Amino acid sequence: MYRSTGFIAFVLRRLTGVALVIYLLLHIWVIGGINSGAETFNDRMEFLGKPFFRLLEIGLLAAVVYHGVDGIRLLIGHYFQVTEYRRGLFYAVIVVSGILVIAGGVPILLFALEG
Amino acid sequence: MRIFLMQRWSAVALLVFLTLHMVVVHYPPGHIDVDRVLERLDDPLWKAIDIAFLVAVLTHALSGAYMVITDVQRFNVYKRVFAWVGAFTGMLLFIYGTQTILAF
Repeated sequence: MYRSTGFIAFVLRRLTGVALVIYLLLHIWVIGGINSGAETFNDRMEFLGKPFFRLLEIGLLAAVVYHGVDGIRLLIGHYFQVTEYRRGLFYAVIVVSGILVIAGGVPILLFALEG
Repeated sequence: MRIFLMQRWSAVALLVFLTLHMVVVHYPPGHIDVDRVLERLDDPLWKAIDIAFLVAVLTHALSGAYMVITDVQRFNVYKRVFAWVGAFTGMLLFIYGTQTILAF
């Protein structure tokens, strides 16, 4: 059971989901800096503009993309009764997510390396 | 079942809102400052879109957190308590988030 694609997808979905909830709370706090004035907002954005955080954005992108694409897989599985293609759909999620993360991650990486 | 449906519909809404958010706000990657955000949020339509996005993301995140927590057998008996805590947290975050969007 622990090696089935369904179980791996379930664990990955839960892990990325929990990570995204934590990120969401931080994101609301960072953007909320505007309530204390433009200076606080820009300070918080500047802090997050450090190369380390920019590189972390690629991880964030990967989590968002995987969680989203896997969500589409779930919707397809639920509404179109394609249970015999479950394994294939999981691999399709990995491939599509990989392509999207590379396409979206390269510009972020280049921007991070600019310093 | 109600929470499951909330999770599903907010997920569908997020596929649209999040894609839009990423394309408009984060690409191409660059330094984000107040002026850049102000320029976009000067349009009331963008404020409305961002508030709708906030509702979808809070619904999805909190219902997801509720499901993850209540899947643990030890916490399952407190389902109702977690549902109310989630609803209350969601309201607080909605008020704070909306205040933030309107501040721009």
